[in-house]
Amino acid sequence: MLSEEHLVQRAVNGEQAAFTQLYNQNFDRIYRYIYVKVRNQSEAEDLTQDVFIKALESIGSYKWRDLPFAAWLFKIAHNRVIDHVRKVSKEKRASLDEAYAKSVEDPVQMTERNFEVYQLKEALEQLPRAQREVATLRFIGQLSIAEVAKTLGKSEGTVKALQFNATASLRKVLYGKLDG
Amino acid sequence: MRMGESLESCLMRYPEHRAELKTLLRTTFDIGRRASYVQPRPEFKHWARVRLEGAQHYAKQQRRAERPSLFSWRQSWSVAVAAVLVLLLTGGSTVAASSNALPDEPLYPVKLATEQVRFAFAISDASKAELHTQLAETRAVEIEAMANEGKTEQSAIAAERLANQLEQANLAMAKVESARGEAAPATATPETTVTEPVPSAPPSQPEGQPTPPTATTQDKGVTTKTEHFKKSLEKSTSKSLTALENALEKAPQQAKPDWQRAIDIISEKSHGKPSQEPGTGAGETGNKDKDNGKTRDKSNGKEENKPTSVKPEPSQPNSHN
Repeated sequence: MLSEEHLVQRAVNGEQAAFTQLYNQNFDRIYRYIYVKVRNQSEAEDLTQDVFIKALESIGSYKWRDLPFAAWLFKIAHNRVIDHVRKVSKEKRASLDEAYAKSVEDPVQMTERNFEVYQLKEALEQLPRAQREVATLRFIGQLSIAEVAKTLGKSEGTVKALQFNATASLRKVLYGKLDG
Repeated sequence: MRMGESLESCLMRYPEHRAELKTLLRTTFDIGRRASYVQPRPEFKHWARVRLEGAQHYAKQQRRAERPSLFSWRQSWSVAVAAVLVLLLTGGSTVAASSNALPDEPLYPVKLATEQVRFAFAISDASKAELHTQLAETRAVEIEAMANEGKTEQSAIAAERLANQLEQANLAMAKVESARGEAAPATATPETTVTEPVPSAPPSQPEGQPTPPTATTQDKGVTTKTEHFKKSLEKSTSKSLTALENALEKAPQQAKPDWQRAIDIISEKSHGKPSQEPGTGAGETGNKDKDNGKTRDKSNGKEENKPTSVKPEPSQPNSHN
């Protein structure tokens, strides 16, 4: 954690290489987070770029608060997604065809994976908003309980409870089983 | 599990919750697996990175050019981003207005942003070389204007930009020439109308020299183009250095090192280019920079001659660059 603080401090001081390193470390998961939220590839790409441009703009005023840098990026991403959703008058449903997995060589495997991602997105969509936020940050963004709590401004206990309920709901939706 | 711990290992630590945990952890694991399939497209990652680097470069220049005012920085950024968007959406009619902006003018960020977009569309090495050459000319005009107005910092920033263009242009030209050298024998395949095998052309031709008679028309075209680029780059370098040297002469004593630094930045890159003016015989390692009869000593970063007091040009090259 100390090394990340050092890295962030260098980025705050205007060192390009440090910011690039933070960018590389977080780019994919920020994209994943946004993609699952907006469920549209081109919109996810635009918003992902927007997040990092905003981060670059604001990095000079960043204050280290014992919080992973990713949490700050997720907060920006979260706000950007909210703004975006507000602006979009009609919710767009992502089709199965436009899913992400272009890089997989095997078309059968690609189709299977696309379908699994599609199912996941659909399942997340069915969660109550608070559960969806927590599940997305925990499972897609791979933040810890504490990081999610700080990012969303909730207590760790609340996040744990939301995660528990979200996981149970997702299980029910994904596998059609009723359990706790 | 996120740290690589197995499901069984997790469950063993909480035997009293095993049954409940097992289903939840399996679900969590499955969600994580599905999520891992979501990856940004490689092309998107590439261009996003390119844009970020452009933005970083621009931000750095802005920080140097201006006092760190958050408002003005943000404002400049908005202009730059707007320029990119407008260029992409409208085909650039609005952004074209910024094409003559100078570094101290409000539309200058638009101009830089527009250049970044142009690079995004320059795919081949030849088009990159051409674009870098054009932008070197642009930077030279900016340097001249800033130097004439005695604006040290803006001149130094423009000099850095020019040095970057020179480096990139030379790199792109080297690739073009290298590709031509490799491609030349292939042009002599039986399917072509060339009557005799075409040997590989040398990587570069001296300035002003005709291309060898054995070169194909395509080779000649490439050679002519790269020669044109080299001449243009030399002209831009010369123009910039002349302006900076004039400013150096007029500058107060305390500002002279800054002007000299700007000169050195350009000199350093111009020495690194693969071609020299015809007849000089100077190679890549030569440190002599011939611009309008002036010679600049790269080893100590100081000019030997100034335009107003031109000494007879020394012919000895330094041993290092």
